[in-house]
Amino acid sequence: MEMDKLGVITTFIHNIVVYNIPLLYGTVGEIVVEKSGSLNLGVEGIMAVGAIFGYIVGCYTNSMLVGILTAFAMGALMGLLFAALTVSLQANQNITGLTLTTFGLGMYFFVGNAIKAVRWPIMSDYSSIKNGFADIAIPGLSQIPVVGKGLFSHNILVYLGIVIALCMWYYLNRTTPGLRLRAVGENPGSADSVGINVKRTKYLHICLGCGIMGIGGYYMGLNMSGSFSSACWINGYGWIAVALVIFANWNPIMAILGTFVFGFFNTLRVSGSSLAVAFPETLGWLAAVPTQLYQALPFIITAIVLVVTSVRKREGSGLPAALGLNYFREER
Amino acid sequence: MGFHIVKRDSCPLWKKALLYVIAVLAALVLGGVLLLAMGVDPLAYYSRMFTMGMVGNKIAYKAFENYLKVFVPLALTSVALSLAFKMRFWNIGGEGQFIMGSIAAATVALKLGPVLPSAITLILMCLAAMLAAGIYGAFVAVLKVKFGTNETLMTLMLNYVALYVLMFLGDRKADWNFFLQEQSARPVFQSFADLASFPKIMFGKFGLNICVILTFLVGTLVFVYLKYTKHGYEISVVGDSAGTAHYAGMKVNAIVLRTVFLSACLIGLAAAFKVGTAGVLSTAITDDVGWTGIIVAWLSQLNTAVIFVVSALISMLHYGSVAAAATFSKVDSSFANMLQGVILFLVFTAEFFIRFRVVRNKKGGKQ
Repeated sequence: MEMDKLGVITTFIHNIVVYNIPLLYGTVGEIVVEKSGSLNLGVEGIMAVGAIFGYIVGCYTNSMLVGILTAFAMGALMGLLFAALTVSLQANQNITGLTLTTFGLGMYFFVGNAIKAVRWPIMSDYSSIKNGFADIAIPGLSQIPVVGKGLFSHNILVYLGIVIALCMWYYLNRTTPGLRLRAVGENPGSADSVGINVKRTKYLHICLGCGIMGIGGYYMGLNMSGSFSSACWINGYGWIAVALVIFANWNPIMAILGTFVFGFFNTLRVSGSSLAVAFPETLGWLAAVPTQLYQALPFIITAIVLVVTSVRKREGSGLPAALGLNYFREER
Repeated sequence: MGFHIVKRDSCPLWKKALLYVIAVLAALVLGGVLLLAMGVDPLAYYSRMFTMGMVGNKIAYKAFENYLKVFVPLALTSVALSLAFKMRFWNIGGEGQFIMGSIAAATVALKLGPVLPSAITLILMCLAAMLAAGIYGAFVAVLKVKFGTNETLMTLMLNYVALYVLMFLGDRKADWNFFLQEQSARPVFQSFADLASFPKIMFGKFGLNICVILTFLVGTLVFVYLKYTKHGYEISVVGDSAGTAHYAGMKVNAIVLRTVFLSACLIGLAAAFKVGTAGVLSTAITDDVGWTGIIVAWLSQLNTAVIFVVSALISMLHYGSVAAAATFSKVDSSFANMLQGVILFLVFTAEFFIRFRVVRNKKGGKQ
C-alpha cells in the first residue's frame, strides 16, 4: 500500500515533466523571438504546423530525427513568413501573429484531414518513432527513490528541451551574438548605429525561435500518440507559452522553473483525483477543486505578474524595451 | 547595388483599391492551386463557397438567416475593436469581453426573464452585457494608464480567465448554478429562448432579425461619433501621438479609459445580440469573433464603413466553407482559415507598397 502511494507521487512528478516540456519549447522559442524585439502571437499556430508536418514526415520516413528536423524547419518557415511581413514589410506584429495562429491551425486541420482521407500514419506502426520516444533512464540519478524515476527517466525530447533552454540562456547572456540580439530588442536604432545588422539579427532569431516552437509541437503530437481528432494537439499550449515568457521574465532558465510551476497545476488537473484517492486525509479536498481553476491559473498568475512588475517598474525586468515595435530605419 | 525603402507621401485611391483587389485575387488563386492539387475544381468550389450553398437550395432563406447570425456579432465586435485600435490601444481581449457579456446577458435572461416582459428583458440583457464587458475591458485600461501595464498581454490573459469561468459554469452541477438545466444529470446549459429572444421582421419566409438592423444603426452611430464629434477627434489625436494630445491640453488618460470602456461595451452588446438570438449559452459562444474581429478591423484599416463590407466577406468565407464542405468532402472547412490567413498576408504586402516605395540606391551613394 505504501509503495502504491509513493508510486502515485512518482507518476505525478513524471507527468509534470512529460506533459509540460512542450511548453518549455514554446516558451524558449518565444523568448528568443521576443528578445529580438518582436512580439509573436502566433506560437499556437506555429507549434501546430511543426506538429503536423513533423509527425507525418517523421512517420513516413520512420525516423525521429527527420521528424524533429522537419518540425524545426516548418516552424522556422512560419517564422520566416512572420519576419518577412513584420521586419521587411512593416506589418503590425500583433495582427500578423494572430493571423499566423489562424493560418497555422487552418493548415494543421487541412493537412491532417487530407492525410487522414488517404491513410493516417499510426505511431505504433513505426518502430523508430515508437522506440525513439521511449523513456531513457539516466544511470544513477534515476535510481533515487520516488523522485528518480519521476525526474530522470524520460524520452529524448525532454532532455533535448532542457538542453536547448540551457544553451539559449548561455547564448543570450554570455555570447557576443546574444548581446547583439538583446541590443536589437532594446533599441534597434542604437544597435544599427553601432553597426549591428538589425534586419539579419531579427530574421535569424525569429526563424530560430519559431523552429524551436515547432519541435515543441512535434513533441505534443507524439505525446498524443499521433491520434488525430477534432481537437488540435496543441490545445492552447501556445498561449500558455506566451504567458510563461512573462512569468519567466524572458529568462530561459527561469522558463524551466516556470514550466514546472505551470506544469504542476496542469498535472493536478489531470491527476489531482488520483492524488486525492491515494491520500484521502491530507489531499482529499483536491477532488473538489474545479479543473477549470487549474486551467485558468497560468493566466491568472501571469496577469498578476504583469501588474506587479508594471507597478514596481522593477530594475532588471527582462522585457525588451522595443518589444512589439517595428524598426524603420528612416524614422530613427 | 542595393535597394532601400522610403515612405510615400500619399497614394491615389484607385491605386490603393487596385492593390487590395490584386491581393485578394492572388490569395484566391493560391487557394485555387491548392484545390486543383487536391483534384477539386476551384471554380466549382468557390462558386459554392461564395453563394454559401444557397443556389438551388429550397431553404435558401434559412441559410441567409444563419449567415446573418455569423455576420452580426463579427461586424459589431470589429467595429468595437476599431475604436480601441484607433488609439493604438491593443485590445486583444475581445474574446474575454464577449464571454463576460454573454454570461451577464444569460444571467438577466434566466433570472429576470420569467418575471418581466420579453422586450424589457432583452433591453436589460443588452445593458447588463455592455456593463459587464465594459468593466472587464476598462479594468485593463485603468492598469494601463495608472501603471503602464502592457495591454496586449493583459487582455490576452483575461481572455482565458473568462473562458475558464464560462467553462466552469457549463460544467459544475450545483444548487447555485442556475445556468444549467436542473432536470439533466449531465451538465447542459439551460435554454432561455422562450423567455427572451430578439424578434424577427418577416419578409415572406425570411425573417430579418432585429439585431441586424440594430448593428447597422450602431455602426452608423460609431461612424458619426468618430468622424464628427469632439470625442472622435480626440481619439484620432491620441492615436497619432499621445504626446501631442497631452500638449494640446487633452486629458489623455480619461480619453483612453472612456474609449476602451465604450469599445468593450459594444463587444458586450454584440454578445447580448448573440446570446439573445441563440437563446442558450455555450462554451463556444464567441465563435472566435474576438480574434477574427481583430483581423477584420485591421483589414478594414479601422474604417467603420469598410468594416461592414469586410466582415460580410469574411463571414461569407467562414459560413460558405462549411456549406461547401457538404458538397466537396475532400476540402475541410479549415480551408477558410487558411485562405483568410493568406488573404491577410497578401493584403499586408499590398499595404507595404501603398505605404512605401522601393528605391534603387544611386551609384556611388552611401550603401
